[in-house]
Amino acid sequence: MTRKLIRPTRRMVLRGGLGLGAAAAFPAPFINHAWAQDVTYDGEVFDAGGAVLDIGEWGGGWEEFVRGALIDDFERDFNCTINWDSSFPWFPKFVTQGARNPVFDICNWNLPNLIQTNQAGDFFLTVDEMRENVPNAADCWDFAFASGAGITWAYQPYVFAYRTDSGEPVNAFRDFWAPRFANKRGAYGTENGLMHCFFMACAREFGEDQYDMEAAFAAIEDAMPLKISEFTFNMLSLLERGEVDIAVHIEGEALSLKRQGVPVDVWEWSSHPILTQTKTISRYAEPMQKRLAFALMNRTLEPSFLEVFGDEFLWRPTNRNAAITASLAEEGVQNTADAVEAFWVPDWDFFVENKLEITDRLNAIFGL
Amino acid sequence: MERHIPLPMLILAVLGFAFMLMPILVVVMAGLTAGEFLTFPPQGLSLRWVAAFLQSDKYLSSFFFSFRLAVMTMIVATILGTAAALFLSRTGMIGRGAMRAFFLSPVVLPGVVIGFALFAFFIATDMGISRTIWGLWIGHILYSTPYVIGTVGAALASYDTSLEEAARSLGASPWRAFRKVTLPNISQGIQAGSIFAFIVSFGQFEVSLFLSSPNSEPLPIAMYNSLRYQFEPSAAAAGIFAITLVTASVLLTNRLVNIRRLLERQQAGG
Repeated sequence: MTRKLIRPTRRMVLRGGLGLGAAAAFPAPFINHAWAQDVTYDGEVFDAGGAVLDIGEWGGGWEEFVRGALIDDFERDFNCTINWDSSFPWFPKFVTQGARNPVFDICNWNLPNLIQTNQAGDFFLTVDEMRENVPNAADCWDFAFASGAGITWAYQPYVFAYRTDSGEPVNAFRDFWAPRFANKRGAYGTENGLMHCFFMACAREFGEDQYDMEAAFAAIEDAMPLKISEFTFNMLSLLERGEVDIAVHIEGEALSLKRQGVPVDVWEWSSHPILTQTKTISRYAEPMQKRLAFALMNRTLEPSFLEVFGDEFLWRPTNRNAAITASLAEEGVQNTADAVEAFWVPDWDFFVENKLEITDRLNAIFGL
Repeated sequence: MERHIPLPMLILAVLGFAFMLMPILVVVMAGLTAGEFLTFPPQGLSLRWVAAFLQSDKYLSSFFFSFRLAVMTMIVATILGTAAALFLSRTGMIGRGAMRAFFLSPVVLPGVVIGFALFAFFIATDMGISRTIWGLWIGHILYSTPYVIGTVGAALASYDTSLEEAARSLGASPWRAFRKVTLPNISQGIQAGSIFAFIVSFGQFEVSLFLSSPNSEPLPIAMYNSLRYQFEPSAAAAGIFAITLVTASVLLTNRLVNIRRLLERQQAGG
């Protein structure tokens, strides 16, 4: 004999439905945002009364270093707590949570993702609003404000990293296509910012300007087969092992491989585009959080922090008063008006608007 | 009587096991490299990256956070999954098959979809648990519970319900009959399900990507960040400890199960 121990009746179902309805009707707590209030910051230390500042920043060794070099002192000086979230990507989090309820008060970005988010809504203060409240911004080079929605605090020029034991030194952008590098060229997946910039640089080099997409597609097709990596550090390991002889890269990371004794050198692209680290401040952050965000932005632009950060990760500072780290200076890098004059930030608005088509076409070229 | 396995089957089985174990071997060897990058084969052998893991506050806090989260998830997923499996095996209501599919759907859906869907749900309902430990816990429970339902359901499928009915007919209350008769018979399935829940939670990445809370980074997220920004072998060294923990938990469970069986046999013999 078998018997069912659970047998829902009509009454049980109705009672359950009533309970669910009651639960759904329970009023959610109303949060009164005071974001409309004006907030100013003059560069002085103030007591935040234990406030919590939500920040979006990279994790891993980056987080460990920045916490030690910047955040720990900041928390102590301003009597606040930093909530550090490193689970990228930021774009869906900002869009889902909405502009009026910002997921982060201050957030660090690569420009393509920042522009994509900025196009999706009124999330961030403008550059002018930030400059008025971040005193150290007055010392930054003009290209630090090129995004229109944040302040760039560190950057690296794009380079070709190449093995010096593979032949003559690289000295032109088109050397990437030289026959000696056939099957030994390295680039990145279509979601990587370096690939985005490489695409724009190819358009500028082989076409009329950075907007000449057909020229860029043709150039990348000519460079096939490419060894595709997702991360720059993974590309370094391919270079170290000799699986790749030339690769799209950024200056500091590639030079770090050279410093380890690997036969590698870099050639800075003649068009001089740069990879940037840019921080935004959310327009609708609470007043205390917005003030703290200004203060943290200001501290980030302090030469003392930028210099130790440069020593650790070989990024260049956008603050004209910060010194270039010694290992970059040995390579001839300077932080002067003449030295930074040629730097160029690709038109990421254009890229984001055409991203779907670019991604599809590149994936087709890669055979994905 | 000794069982003979046909040679082709034996070769296939060995190859299959080797294929499954190869990633573990690669992770262990890559974590023991003396080189600067996460590569395989390793460039010499060294414990430097194991030491780096043990000296990293970030990695250690992530490791223990993931451990606590997995234990909490295992407890709740085991209770919910067992209850759901019992319900599904005993109810005769219309749509039982659809309900089973619904309960198991978190396994079928991509984790990143579940993570984002929960993230959006928490925000839309203004529950105050988006990007908190509690929200992350709920996500892990949701993703782990189907494994318990599956294993307990399998145990219940081979369980003869007339045993419980016999206990009831002899005067046992429903709870006593369940506790004394049903539970011991399906305990293997529950234990296997709980271990699955622990392992799935400990290694969960996609759900955590959207739900993890600031300053509380699960180990897989910490490893991903390390690969993204440094590509150091310390991520593989962290993997060695994760593999060790999971293996130890499986072995420990097997051991406990065997001891329990031994005790049962002794009691039966006494």
